[in-house]
Amino acid sequence: MVLEVTAKDHNNGKVLYQERRTYFEIGLDLDGYMRYGAWQIKEIIDLTLQPLETRHERFFITFPKEVSTVDLEVNVYYYISSKKGNLIYQEKRLLNYED
Amino acid sequence: MRFKFLVFSIFLFFLFVSFAFASTEEGKLEFPSGPIDDFETFVKVFDSKRCAECHEDIYDEWSKSYHSRSMVSSIKGIANFFTVGVPKEWEKELNKQEIIKCLDCHLPQIKFATERLAKEIADYMIKAKIGKGKEKEKAIEQLKRINLSCYGCHNIKIAGTAPGITGKIESGVIYTAGEGESDAHETEHTPILKRSFFCVQCHGVYIAPDGESTYCNTLSGSYVHSYIGQGGRKTCQECHMYRKNRGHRMPGGHDLEIVKEGIEFQAEIRAFRYGIGKWIPAVNVEAFLTNKAGHRIPDG
Repeated sequence: MVLEVTAKDHNNGKVLYQERRTYFEIGLDLDGYMRYGAWQIKEIIDLTLQPLETRHERFFITFPKEVSTVDLEVNVYYYISSKKGNLIYQEKRLLNYED
Repeated sequence: MRFKFLVFSIFLFFLFVSFAFASTEEGKLEFPSGPIDDFETFVKVFDSKRCAECHEDIYDEWSKSYHSRSMVSSIKGIANFFTVGVPKEWEKELNKQEIIKCLDCHLPQIKFATERLAKEIADYMIKAKIGKGKEKEKAIEQLKRINLSCYGCHNIKIAGTAPGITGKIESGVIYTAGEGESDAHETEHTPILKRSFFCVQCHGVYIAPDGESTYCNTLSGSYVHSYIGQGGRKTCQECHMYRKNRGHRMPGGHDLEIVKEGIEFQAEIRAFRYGIGKWIPAVNVEAFLTNKAGHRIPDG
């Protein structure tokens, strides 16, 4: 699962900021190497969202002085497989810095 | 001579099949208690369609579940184990003892397959991944016909978690969470089917009889130690079966509706100007993700 914050200049679409927080398990073999095979994995590094947990992610973003309007998107993707991310939540906002 | 032998073999085959399916003198369904060597017989004997005559609604639900696709949906992972894990990394022969490390959950009736049939099924799995053309297509078609069937949960896996309590599982008896009776089969009320404890045997780290561990997923550890430990009290069945009448469809991580139910999202966004005197555009985003499921997200 991925939480992604993207800010684009509203006037030209240029990406001004993008950051991702990823929630997943990393499987390790006994020598500490990352593995995908279920038979190889003997330990995990747990970077998932724990049951009943609320994860609070904080972003402080600054933009170039000349930017007047920004399209901001906060997206949550759930990956059913490692290739296909499904957008499950989205919050969009137009930020206006014009005087 | 050869012709006579062929006719006799066909006669024996149909005789066996008729015993395997057919009802007993009292009209009850029968299931095997001994080994099966023939793929077609294996498919037919454990086919969930046999249950559909009386349990059509449940069969329809199950048909939409990943349990009904437990083999064909896992080709990559299982075939990798059969082609890389066992022969190359462990340097072992791919025999039933190794095959069952995947299929004990993906195809519990493998217990009734002979060594030869287990290898034939493993071969379909391998060809479905690395085969070409018609050979690959045929292997996939064969894998679509075998799955975690009704009998898998309602008989074979009943003794999987607490054999000391459940005792010997009788072939042909259908173990159910309900208390009804049936003319078609012997029925035994088994409350274990309502408990998370039952699901844990496959939806967690699998420990094979020889001690080998397989990390297919880690749901159950998370459920027991994190969810229950923090005060969660729902069972697997409450969310994945009883809620919204999901029944035997048992949706999970492949179903975005239940995924969204398990995750709550909130974002607070505040644009402002940062700096004193030389103000620049800025924004503060506070995002909150809450895991409302009874296990870690994601898992597996």
